Amino acid sequence: MEIKQKNQSENPIENYSQKIFLLGSVLVSFGILQVTVGGSWDITNHLLNKPETFFSTPHAVMYSGVAISLIGVAISFFGYRNLQNFKNIFSLPLRIKFLGITLLIGAGPFDFIWHLNFGLDGLLSPPHLTLITGMLFCSMGGMFGISRFLKLKSSNIALSPYLLILGILPVWLAGSGIISSLSLPFSNTDYFQLNPDPLMAFIVATTLYPFLISFCSLTASRISNFKPGIVTILGGLFLLIYGLTAISPNFSLLEAALFYSLNLIPFVISDLILSFGKSKRFSLCAGGILGSVFYMVYFPYVMYTYNEVLLGKLVSPSMILHTYFEILPQVLQLTIIPAIIMGIVGVFAANKFSSKILMK
Amino acid sequence: MVISLSAYFALTVLVLPEKFLAQEQLVPIPYLEVELSKIEIDLGQSFILSTISENIGDYGDIHIVSAAFPTVQNIENNVKIVSYDFSNSPNYINYEDKIGANYSGGLESVLAQYPSIEAMNRPVYPGIKYVMDLQITPEEAGVFAVYLKAINIPHTSSSSHFPQSGQLDHQGEHVLVYTVNVNP
Repeated sequence: MEIKQKNQSENPIENYSQKIFLLGSVLVSFGILQVTVGGSWDITNHLLNKPETFFSTPHAVMYSGVAISLIGVAISFFGYRNLQNFKNIFSLPLRIKFLGITLLIGAGPFDFIWHLNFGLDGLLSPPHLTLITGMLFCSMGGMFGISRFLKLKSSNIALSPYLLILGILPVWLAGSGIISSLSLPFSNTDYFQLNPDPLMAFIVATTLYPFLISFCSLTASRISNFKPGIVTILGGLFLLIYGLTAISPNFSLLEAALFYSLNLIPFVISDLILSFGKSKRFSLCAGGILGSVFYMVYFPYVMYTYNEVLLGKLVSPSMILHTYFEILPQVLQLTIIPAIIMGIVGVFAANKFSSKILMK
Repeated sequence: MVISLSAYFALTVLVLPEKFLAQEQLVPIPYLEVELSKIEIDLGQSFILSTISENIGDYGDIHIVSAAFPTVQNIENNVKIVSYDFSNSPNYINYEDKIGANYSGGLESVLAQYPSIEAMNRPVYPGIKYVMDLQITPEEAGVFAVYLKAINIPHTSSSSHFPQSGQLDHQGEHVLVYTVNVNP
């Protein structure tokens, strides 16, 4: 079934309800963006071992993001109820949002109880996994809602590229959160030994990070009909958020700001390649490039995953930079080929996924 | 585009890593002083052991002070932490707990042969003093020994631990030895 480009202005209630649904989707995506920012900041604080309780600033950022998402889901629901012609288009985004927000809301008290009982928790604790899974579902619901609205309106909205980026960015960040949970060795505590097996973590990081970068960038490009600039802005925002929450709180990493900002180059190049044309060749080339740079894009904490297998040494915060660059040549030798392949796989997945989003 | 991509990889893989790896690493250096309230007591009496430690080197990530009790197997009843100003609560390490060894940062481990208390501060700026007071009530007459040491992380050389020589403990790490005579 394809979304018909009917003239919706014939029915003002329908039109109004669709806009309400869009507003809800935007709020859900914005809320999840806030949750991911707080989450990344929280991980950095855990790594720096700043003494923490449930009532910490990153937690406040995260849970206020949950509140915004909850309001977004409620608004989406009211918009959906008043739809007359396009309920089938917006029912999937709404259902995904409901599932996500249920998990998110459940994660709050679960996390509070966990902290009360077990103190400082690890990255892969059950409440954190519930939270991240809820984030992923909510962000996907928001993205589906925004994308389908834009398709329905034939993207005749001046803000449409920015709305699309707002929809996809939280999906990328939440997906990164799940991969990080499954690969970083930050989950052992006095009570639970939940660190992933080093070899499995190596495989997870090497395959899923490149896939995710390529998948999100190519999905954004395809949904926007290969609009130039989309991949650059999306990649730039990802780098900015990651830089502000994972790099800048650790003063010993500040000198690597120039190094990290160079990562915008592969996004600009991929953007240019994609803007040459809609040929699959260009997409595969862009996907391969984006996949190949995952170790640099996920600087610095991805190093911990590879350190477990290659060096196995204790890396305290001031040693991160040195260890990251110490193993960089070895990591690239081992991962560049699978990373390019997974970047290309991400292109195929993005094609399928964007068709599903746009209901082609 | 090919030139830009080549420049990107050249900078991120060759030029900048070289620059960062050439930089000198920080060397935090711990220093530890110990004060005993008494060197001789009667059985049933207590004494206070105070540790005053600081980082006299570069900025460090972690500062650890350890007090171990080689003449007893259990310290739950006879060693109390009276006060401390470390950022993290001191940990009790029990007999046969798995602990790190040889300043390896967790790469090597052993089973504890006797109990100890570890206090930790994160991060550790130079010139700030950290104090921990322990009230100790020996349960048996004889010589009551306490092993003390301080370690800073990153542990880059022998400067990163104190003392740098002397008796080795169950972790293969150097310690200061303090004793109190307990009269029957």
